[in-house]
Amino acid sequence: MYGSGDSEVRALDGIDVSFEKGKFTAIMGPSGSGKSTLMHCIAGLDSLTSGSVFIGDTNLSSLNDKQLTELRREKVGFVFQAFNLIPTLNAYENITLPLTLGKKKGDSAWIDRVIDTISLRDRLDHRPSELSGGQQQRVAIARALASQPDIIFADEPTGNLDSKTGSEVLAFMRRAVSDLGQTIVMVTHDAVAASYADRIVFLADGRVAGEMFSPTAQKVLDYLKRLGE
Amino acid sequence: MFRLAVKMTLARTGRLVLTSLAVILGTAFLSGTFVFRDTINQTFDRLFADVFRDVDAYVRSTTFLELDFGGEQRAATPVAVLDAVRNVEGVTSATGDIQAFARVIGKDGTPLGSEGNGPPTFGGIASSDSAGLWSITSGRLPVGPNEVILDKATADNGAFVVGDSVRVVAVRGAREFTLVGIASYGDISSPGGATFALFDQPTASEFLLQPGFVDAILVEGDDSVGDDVLAKRIDAALPTELKLETLTGAEITAEVQGQIKDVLNIFSTFLIIFSYIALGIGSFVIYNVFSITAAQRQRENALLRAIGASRRQVSRALLIESTAMGIVGSVIGFGIGILLSQMLNALLKATGFEVPTQGLAISPNSFINTLIAGVVVTISAAWFPARRAGRVPPLAALRDTALDTAGSISRRVVIGLVLVAAGGVGMFAAMNDAPVQVLGLGVLGVFSGILVLGPAIARPVALFIGLPVAKLRGASGVMARQNAARNPKRTSRTAAPVLLGVALVTAFTALAASIRSEIRDTFGNAFSGDIALTVDSQGFGGIPLTITDQIAELDGVAQATGVGFTSVRLIDPNEPASTTQASAAQRGVFVQTINPETIGGLFDLGVTQGDLGSLGADGIFVDAERAESKGWDIGTRLKIIRVDGVEVNAEVRGFVSGDTSFANYVASRDMFADAPSPIFDAFVYIKVAPGAVFDDVRDRVAAISSDAGIGTLQTKDEFIDDQAAQINQVLALIYGLLGLSIIIAIVGIVITLLLSVFERRREIGLLRAVGMTKSQVRTTVRWESVITSLLGAVSGVVLGIVMGIVVVAALSDEGDITFRLPVNETLWIVVISFVLGVVAAVYPAWRATKVNVVEAIAAT
Repeated sequence: MYGSGDSEVRALDGIDVSFEKGKFTAIMGPSGSGKSTLMHCIAGLDSLTSGSVFIGDTNLSSLNDKQLTELRREKVGFVFQAFNLIPTLNAYENITLPLTLGKKKGDSAWIDRVIDTISLRDRLDHRPSELSGGQQQRVAIARALASQPDIIFADEPTGNLDSKTGSEVLAFMRRAVSDLGQTIVMVTHDAVAASYADRIVFLADGRVAGEMFSPTAQKVLDYLKRLGE
Repeated sequence: MFRLAVKMTLARTGRLVLTSLAVILGTAFLSGTFVFRDTINQTFDRLFADVFRDVDAYVRSTTFLELDFGGEQRAATPVAVLDAVRNVEGVTSATGDIQAFARVIGKDGTPLGSEGNGPPTFGGIASSDSAGLWSITSGRLPVGPNEVILDKATADNGAFVVGDSVRVVAVRGAREFTLVGIASYGDISSPGGATFALFDQPTASEFLLQPGFVDAILVEGDDSVGDDVLAKRIDAALPTELKLETLTGAEITAEVQGQIKDVLNIFSTFLIIFSYIALGIGSFVIYNVFSITAAQRQRENALLRAIGASRRQVSRALLIESTAMGIVGSVIGFGIGILLSQMLNALLKATGFEVPTQGLAISPNSFINTLIAGVVVTISAAWFPARRAGRVPPLAALRDTALDTAGSISRRVVIGLVLVAAGGVGMFAAMNDAPVQVLGLGVLGVFSGILVLGPAIARPVALFIGLPVAKLRGASGVMARQNAARNPKRTSRTAAPVLLGVALVTAFTALAASIRSEIRDTFGNAFSGDIALTVDSQGFGGIPLTITDQIAELDGVAQATGVGFTSVRLIDPNEPASTTQASAAQRGVFVQTINPETIGGLFDLGVTQGDLGSLGADGIFVDAERAESKGWDIGTRLKIIRVDGVEVNAEVRGFVSGDTSFANYVASRDMFADAPSPIFDAFVYIKVAPGAVFDDVRDRVAAISSDAGIGTLQTKDEFIDDQAAQINQVLALIYGLLGLSIIIAIVGIVITLLLSVFERRREIGLLRAVGMTKSQVRTTVRWESVITSLLGAVSGVVLGIVMGIVVVAALSDEGDITFRLPVNETLWIVVISFVLGVVAAVYPAWRATKVNVVEAIAAT
């Protein structure tokens, strides 16, 4: 129905990482480990000095600005730590913004479903300033989902939230993968947040330091402890 | 996307209006002038349509001179023609029309209506025929040589009632008349504030013009035939040797309406030019506002880019916003402009130029023009910031601070220097006799070069100007200085409108000061008398020659001579006829009329060759330069055609240098002695006889002039000051108009400071948190404002002085005008800029103290 095979990425200092379609992957690592840079590169926000990035069969380094813009609009979704929404548009307009930018109607049944999943139907006509931090982040995730992208990148999506709203947001992301079949790559340094993922990729000094499947918070903390020693 | 962009724009109505301020101010003045012009035009259209309602045909001479400012002077028509016209079949009545100089003297002995600066003072014919332009509101028509009627406004101003004795001065001198009635022109009391004294036809002809002559004939038909048929019949009945023509009522109405429009349009064009300058200066403010807001919204734009907006979509969103600003600003500006037009009217009324206005003429054209000007200026000013906003990297969405993307400084310096150099070359060429357009391009080049260079020089200059502030105002001063220098692009853009305004003011002031001192020197050398009687009538009326001769005869007056002006057509018979276009041939030239017998030793016209005594009735002296360019020499014959159509075969008998002679040609008053349209003197120069008491002589001259109700009596020093001060009127007008640009510049500073305060609210919050007092915050903002304002003022003064030097050099031939620096005025400009800086900072500084410390620090 959407997407095309595995979303595969080769990147950064000889590392070779691929992210599987329909899975929730977390990238972890200490500050300066290159996790944000990795994400910016595979999302087409930053350009590589050497090597190449693929989303599906598309080689990002061969794209010009216009093609990259279209790729971001149609194949990639973003969720940032803060400043995720356009302050002058209401929640619904923010959610459908990528579609509006591409002059597309979008799949209204899908959008309905996304909106139901974030359970903010009654706040759709509110401006971001009238929403709580957790609600804003849910709107941001809904926006990332709206165009049914091949892959969604989330950069510390819970970094600015308290633990309760953080877990709400994470649970919602989890549902987006399990129930809606989306692909999410999340950068985080929070073990609890990472434990929502199907798989964790650990980075250190620009290299892949290890991997973990079906993580729990405790397992992650143990692993990080070992990594630190 | 378009809908969203509109929505995003409307979501910030507050900012929309704030940033539209510059557009509002610029367009308000523009539309104000449009509405003002249309209202006056409409009023006069209606007035003349009403006044000429019963005029079906109009007979006048075909001999005329076109004068400057759209006026014309026409030969007189003999009264005998009146009878010929009356006998034409279909004519009900025919009446003479005269519009000539006449001044009503008030009961206190001073003339009514201001001299020179005010509206003209007329004399004319009162007639019972319905074709006459006047209707009697009280009393009766004047009959015989001793009766007069006045227009209602003049009668009211002078507190005259029917039965009073009224003194009137005209070409034949001063006379007493009995007021027998009051008249109105159409349905208004006086057109344009002019004064009117009306007589019966024979009296008017004799007293105002020449016995047996009128200016034109007004005809009313019995409506048995159409106006054009009637006009043809009259034309056929006119004596062919008199060169007369007949116009229909509609034609003369349209012509008079057109004439008044031409005059008014010169004035309104002047206003409109300055409102375009103001709008242009406003565009810098708009440009600055867009640059700053685009920088502040960098993250928002980057987010849009990150989620898939193309460069073009981001740019277009900003352009849509600017279009909205342009429309909103222009519409509000148009509304304010309507109010401004009323104020302009009130201002003119206060200065004596009462212009009758009935209702408001708001034409769709004015609205469309204002809207187009406003929107075009706004969009052009927003163009580059919008392009730059589209180029923001998507990654900037993740960065913390807003950055003003800096262009390459070295490229900027190169482009700026090239522009300045090119402009300099143009200005240098202009100093060496290149055409004035080159000077304009040169000035434009230097201006644009300086503006391009601005960001490169803003930092060092701002730091330099801020040095004393940092020394004197402690930590706040240091921060103010750094803030002014931290973003050189923004600072220079904010200072640019100040720079432009100040540079123009300085250049005009320097130019005026130089011309003034030149006039002073020239007149000081040329005028060797003691007293001058002057009338500033601007070519209409003046001192009757009889008065001049009377003064010359006075006891204690050693010598007195009059100088006047008149217009003639001048034809060079040696020039091929094809080069003189038919219409150009109707153009008049000014001739200075003198009395060769009395002028010697009293006023030096700068004769370079020849003897004024040789002028006679058919001699002429020509400006030496003009003669050289035309190839005329002593003995060259030129055809002079007087206003009355009489041709004089004149001979060039000498040359003058152009400094103290007000016109290019000088003739003896004898040349015009037999003309039906008499000439006047504009100046009478008087030398007191040795041994006579100065004050006594002065009193005797004053008695004659006040008896005649004419002229201003001045000592030599006063006269010279007065001549030099004439430039001040022009300067005052220019100051007033440039003042508007200065207001826009202040608004620019206010907006920039407000946006800066908003942008730095975290920083201000932090400073407050670590112990900065509110008053210190205010001090910081205030001094940043002052430094910015002074940056513009100082560089503007420097630029203005350079421009002044160049313009003076370009205008003066053979260096006869030397540049003078108006030290006092220049210092005042700097002081005023300082004060403006303080004033502009008041509101932004207050806003800065309102920053909530906790929120500011927590805000992300």
